[in-house]
Amino acid sequence: MARFDELLKRFFYRADEDVGAWLELAPEIADSVEALDELPEEFLAFELSTETYAVPIGAVREIVKVPVITPVPRVADHVLGVMNVRGEMLPVYDLKKQLNLETVPFRVTGPGDVPRETRVVLLKDAEGDAGILVDRVRGVVRLLLSKLEPAPSLGAERRAVAGLGRSDGHLYILLDVEQALS
Amino acid sequence: MPPPRALTEFVAEANEVLETLAHDVAVLDAQRGHDPEPDLLNAVFRAAHSLKGLSAMFGQEKIAGLAHHLEDVLDALRLGKVQHDDTLIDTLLEGVDVLTLMLREASGDEAHPDTAPRAQALTEAFARLATGGSGAAVDVLDEVGLDPGIRNVFTEYEEHRLRENVKKGVALWKVRAVFSLEDFDQRLSALNATLKPLGEVISTLPSSQPGDDASIAFDLIFGSSRPRPEIATAVEGVAIVSPLTQKTMAPTPVPAAAPAPRKPPPTLFLQDASAPDLPAYGGSASPSGVMQGAEPSLRSLAQTVRVDIGRLDGLMNTIGELLTVRANIQRLSEVARNAGGAPLPKLWAQELQKETRALERKLDDLQNGVLDVRMVPLVQVFDKLARLMRRLVRQSGKDVHFEVSGGDVELDKLIVEELSDPLMHLLRNALDHGVEAPDQRVARGKDARGVIRLKAQQLGNQVQIEVGDDGAGMDEMRIRQVAIERGVVTREATDEMERRELLNLVFLPGFSTRADVSELSGRGVGLDVVKTNLSRLSGLIDIESRRGEGTRFLLTLPLTLAIIRALVVSVGERTFAVPLNSVTEIVSVKPAELRTIERREVLDVRGQTLPFVRLSRVFGLQELPVERHFVVIIGLAQERFGLAVDALLGQEDIVTKPLGGRLKGVRGIAGATELGDRRAVLVLDVGALVEDLKRPMAAVS
Repeated sequence: MARFDELLKRFFYRADEDVGAWLELAPEIADSVEALDELPEEFLAFELSTETYAVPIGAVREIVKVPVITPVPRVADHVLGVMNVRGEMLPVYDLKKQLNLETVPFRVTGPGDVPRETRVVLLKDAEGDAGILVDRVRGVVRLLLSKLEPAPSLGAERRAVAGLGRSDGHLYILLDVEQALS
Repeated sequence: MPPPRALTEFVAEANEVLETLAHDVAVLDAQRGHDPEPDLLNAVFRAAHSLKGLSAMFGQEKIAGLAHHLEDVLDALRLGKVQHDDTLIDTLLEGVDVLTLMLREASGDEAHPDTAPRAQALTEAFARLATGGSGAAVDVLDEVGLDPGIRNVFTEYEEHRLRENVKKGVALWKVRAVFSLEDFDQRLSALNATLKPLGEVISTLPSSQPGDDASIAFDLIFGSSRPRPEIATAVEGVAIVSPLTQKTMAPTPVPAAAPAPRKPPPTLFLQDASAPDLPAYGGSASPSGVMQGAEPSLRSLAQTVRVDIGRLDGLMNTIGELLTVRANIQRLSEVARNAGGAPLPKLWAQELQKETRALERKLDDLQNGVLDVRMVPLVQVFDKLARLMRRLVRQSGKDVHFEVSGGDVELDKLIVEELSDPLMHLLRNALDHGVEAPDQRVARGKDARGVIRLKAQQLGNQVQIEVGDDGAGMDEMRIRQVAIERGVVTREATDEMERRELLNLVFLPGFSTRADVSELSGRGVGLDVVKTNLSRLSGLIDIESRRGEGTRFLLTLPLTLAIIRALVVSVGERTFAVPLNSVTEIVSVKPAELRTIERREVLDVRGQTLPFVRLSRVFGLQELPVERHFVVIIGLAQERFGLAVDALLGQEDIVTKPLGGRLKGVRGIAGATELGDRRAVLVLDVGALVEDLKRPMAAVS
């Protein structure tokens, strides 16, 4: 029986699992491990008016061209209406007023109302998925979470800003989706 | 976190077993006073047994334990050791309730504080019942002189049935038949079928004296009060009848002597005499009234629908036909592509048209088929209600006969589920406010026993459910007074109300006509909840009430909600869909024909004055000057009003989808649907529009 165990062990032995030699080195590197190991997180960057915003890529469900948007009465100003995404009815938001980028919201009701680059970014959210209208999708940026700056206090209406990130000289405003949609 | 699949399956299946059990116990209840039918008893026993096995398999020890005790009691009942009386039925019903509660907990619901003590009390009650009836004091079988050789092979149950037959003075016969080995099973069941109408086949024993190698002989122990020649004639050529016992030809003295010592004293089943009517568990035994206060919802635990395989086969066939249509369309599109812009033959267009029509037809079939699958009989909820009513009637101290009919009417599963709570409220109301106490009834010259009816019938595309009582009827003047006192309406507003409108005041939130808040109902929630639930189901509710004769609530419901027919209307550039089942008619009026009452617009439809609501104003849309208003007359619950729109665009079958989570609270919008061009179109929430109508002027405009 013991011989059989030995055989099994030898069969499953893998050199890279043998950490014996590293153990004595471990105390010295333990502190720097965290910094070394931090991988940049991916964010989807998009433009709203002149500013560039970003949301964690994990929160993005998909990006679609602007469909026909059906206005819904009796809702807040920043709700453009609902759109049909393959049979699912999802609300579409225009965040420009929320973010103080525009004073009077422009009512977008369909692809004819907006420039060609305009897209709807569908965000996953616990309260129900929702789309936000963006002027242009820039692409994916990688930001280190530890390097993010807290949002400067610019007044109550900027609650939707979760923080700021920099990469290659660009400033990305991180959007707090919950706050922006509420 | 969703419960694991195995648990879900267990809950669904256990729930089904429980429902069967509940149904059978209810039937047993109805047969009280008679000897229970052996087949039915066996069915109940089997249900308890499979519940025990099922829950043990899934590690639900508590449920398995209780089911085990239940099984013991049922076994004792089957063997005649327990009397078929009120105590027993109450205990069994309580068992079903407690098991349901436990199952609810097993499926992840919060534990109900009463469950454990109730289960404990029940276990004890079961144990008392199962052991309470001692074995037969004098065995009548000893007296009839049965051959001990035969007697030894009987099971306990068979022996019990023998005893029962002897007690009733039924003669016992041995029916011997010899069958060929080739087809003995069919011939044996044929013989059983022949004998059944004449009496009871108690046991089938392979005979100790077989015929020859190619055949097998059976002795059927048969109890029958028919004369020997009749039995002999019935089985002539198949079997030979002979008396089983020496004394069966003179059974008459046995019944007189036997029952007396067998009948146990009634107190045997009760531990102490302080609870003379009800055993020490369940509703009335908890003086704190904790249990009565919070009646658990009657919705079923499982979100599953049991489907007849035939229905699925039908769906599969339709899909097969759809595949053929697809192949044909594919071929046609191939032809069109290969033509490369050249004009296509006329035949091609014709064929395409033909295929489109076929597609339409098949899709219709598929739609109907799927809707069919969702249909479940109302008996599922009626059974639960009957059980509840039985308990409530006992608690109330009134004498009420509960009549149920139309349980076989089928409705969409979703609607059936949503209906259980409103019906529960209505029935409680009927019991608490409707039927009078027995002495009052007698004083009014009525039968002391009241009647509460629950009746369903299908009327075309709708189902009508009636909850009626033969009680005191509703007093509209008191309703009016209470409504004014509670500030639900103003005195002026009630001055012009007709009786019907006054009765409808009971549907307003916060209304309750009884000063004393009883355990059963009258907590001020009830009828308004009923109405809200019904509106959600696009149902109508009407009250018919005669003073001193009773009250009827009539609920009219659509057969299904999954796919509904809607009227598509437009206001300015906006398009909306109105569920057609709440549209009673469409009229057109000139602006000049409108009148106002207290500055609110009204319109006159054949002498009836209805509120006139402009959809454009409701939603704050631009109003265009029109020569005529198209008015959609909406009827929901007991309300009617006219909704003005700019244009009528037609009818469509729609599937209403909820607006994404964040928008679900939008008042007046039930959801959205997609029309032919894939655009989202908002579906009006007619119920909410009706609610708005009753708010003060300021809130509407």
